[in-house]
Amino acid sequence: MAQIEMRNVQKFFGANQVLKDFHLTIEDGEFVVMLGQSGGGKTTALRAIAGLETITDGKILINGKEVQDKKAADRDIAFVFQSFSLYPHMTVRENIAFPLRAVRMDAAERDSAIKEVAETLQIAQHLDRKPSALSGGDMQRVAIGRALVRRPQALLMDEPLGVLDTELREQMRAEIKRLHIARGSTSVYVTHDQIEAMSLADRIVILHDGVLQQVGSPDDVYLHPTNLFVAKFVGSPVMNIADVHIEGSRVALPGDGAGFQFDETTLSKLQNTGDGVTLGIRPEAVLLSQKKSKGYVEAVTTNIEPLGSHDIVDVRLGDTVMRARTESGFVRGEGAQVWVNLDPSQAHFFDNKTELNLRGGA
Amino acid sequence: MAGVRTPRETWTNRTAIFAVFVALVIMLTPIYWIAATAFKPRNLATTIPPTVAFTPEVSPFVKLFTKRSQLREQPTQEEYDAAPWWEKMVFDGGEKVVRNRKTGEVRSSGYGDRFKNSLIVSIISTLVAVSMGTLTAYGFSRFKVKGEDDWLFFILSTRMLPPVVVAIPMFLMYRVVGLNDTHMGLIILYTAFNLSFAVWIMKGFIDEIPKEYEEAALVDGYTRMQAFFKVVLPEALTGMAATAVLCFITAWNEYAFALIMTNRNAQTAPPYIPSQVGSGLPDWTVIAAGTLLFLIPVAIFTFLLRNHLLRGMSFGAIRK
Ligand SMILES: Nc1ncnc2c1ncn2[C@@H]1O[C@H](COP(=O)(O)OP(=O)(O)OP(=O)(O)O)[C@@H](O)[C@H]1O
Ligand SMILES: [Mg+2]
Repeated sequence: MAQIEMRNVQKFFGANQVLKDFHLTIEDGEFVVMLGQSGGGKTTALRAIAGLETITDGKILINGKEVQDKKAADRDIAFVFQSFSLYPHMTVRENIAFPLRAVRMDAAERDSAIKEVAETLQIAQHLDRKPSALSGGDMQRVAIGRALVRRPQALLMDEPLGVLDTELREQMRAEIKRLHIARGSTSVYVTHDQIEAMSLADRIVILHDGVLQQVGSPDDVYLHPTNLFVAKFVGSPVMNIADVHIEGSRVALPGDGAGFQFDETTLSKLQNTGDGVTLGIRPEAVLLSQKKSKGYVEAVTTNIEPLGSHDIVDVRLGDTVMRARTESGFVRGEGAQVWVNLDPSQAHFFDNKTELNLRGGA
Repeated sequence: MAGVRTPRETWTNRTAIFAVFVALVIMLTPIYWIAATAFKPRNLATTIPPTVAFTPEVSPFVKLFTKRSQLREQPTQEEYDAAPWWEKMVFDGGEKVVRNRKTGEVRSSGYGDRFKNSLIVSIISTLVAVSMGTLTAYGFSRFKVKGEDDWLFFILSTRMLPPVVVAIPMFLMYRVVGLNDTHMGLIILYTAFNLSFAVWIMKGFIDEIPKEYEEAALVDGYTRMQAFFKVVLPEALTGMAATAVLCFITAWNEYAFALIMTNRNAQTAPPYIPSQVGSGLPDWTVIAAGTLLFLIPVAIFTFLLRNHLLRGMSFGAIRK
């Protein structure tokens, strides 16, 4: 097991900079998930750690030793690819044995290692089959088995569940988590599925355009996003975003005269650069009421999405449409009159220019 | 779908079978003709209309492998009785087998040697072209090569001239370096000729092999060379088989260079067979026998690799 550190890593493909001044320390035994949109550089970062991609500048350390100039074979790291990870011309057993043959492990030891991994991953009955005869889930189980069998320093996974259907993904997700807890292997997992990230990660790394946006626990990135990108990227339905006008203790939405009352000290602490402020508030922090009460502002519902366990209600406030999460059946129909308030403790303010969270984020 | 066919499908199916049948007849008729002629007595070989019913003989094959001359006088009864069965056939055809004056050994016609030359040259040049082509294609497919497209075009451009155009300069150059009429000379020539083709076809196949396969091997502790042999090669075998068949056929059938570059020592079968047409009155049965034998290696080679070949031919087409 190992600690992995990336220091000032830069990666260019031609003139295109894909990793920008990348700083990250992954602790021994930690499960880190890299989350980001397509093209964000997640795969590139992972491949750089594995040694499949050379880096343009910076250092990569495994257990404190610089490895950026070492070949992939010498880094003792395992990699699970999204697809095409099993050799079609070998049986499952041969596939799992393949990394062990590289280190010339003796046959008896090899057999027991294969047996152990096959039992952990419940693929023992498939050992003598060819990969083409396996289901998608079993293929990825075998791929993970092949990665784990030689007990590598760290396990890197690039969207290993990306090609599976939803049900299987959920099941495999649980298995990966169980496996991680049992083995405690340092793991880096790439995905663009935030539910996967939230449920697996000790820490989530959010990447956008090759820049690290935020590193933190799932709660951290959800509750304290450092900037507008993270705020919008994490959470479903997405956070409500609105340009606001702050006057004393009042936060006014465009076209809405009344505005919301906030604690004046909170608002005065915002490090406003003078470029204006954007309010971000998650649907569960938008509070609805059937009757007029103090601090509530009048609004009209425009759309209702009943989702069974809860409803997502769109309300129009001045020129802004906000989405609120309510218990199911709370509002009967569109065009109904409701009163809206915001939970000030869950409100975020972002500078319009820097897009940073003015309440400090994480 | 399975089992149940609409009338329209049945009709389409029958048409397809009929079309295949017609194509087969057109393609197989010349082969039947050659096969039939190879077993005919000489006097039936050129009758008009062609003789269909005849008693097959192996005498054309006996004549194919031996050197013969016209009989001036009939052999004596003792001579005839003492002769082995195959020599009797030659006597019956009004010819006699030429023997070495001192040892009495039967002189061969040279067809066997030419056939052997064809095998040596075609097999070796195919092996070399396919292996070099695969390695080159791998390089182009997996590494950043500066001016990759230009290089590939340059490689292909060697196929743009008809080979005869360069035959004379090649002949002169070969004479200087002493490669005329040697196996090595023809092997180099055929390898060079097939290489561009092998590179292009193999590049197509290797591009289709996901690079994750090798990368997985690289992180698992293998060198790139090991990864190539353990992972890429097994996956590329189908393509290599298809390429090998095509290279082999090209080398096996090559006529122009073989005619110009070789005469005795390294001559292959293609220039030899028609040379027999020109010597006196052609014996078409012998020429047919030589041609028929000449077809066999390609047929065997293709048959052995047929599964690979079918998959290989459709591989790129389906996935691209
Ligand atoms: N080998 C390469 N040569 C040139 N550009 C590349 C190469 N690999 C990746 N890139 C570029 O680098 C950027 C980041 O790619 P990367 O694959 O790391 O993104 P990603 O976050 O993994 O995206 P995805 O979610 O789609 O897998 C992209 O703009 C991509 O076009
Ligand atoms: Mg990726």
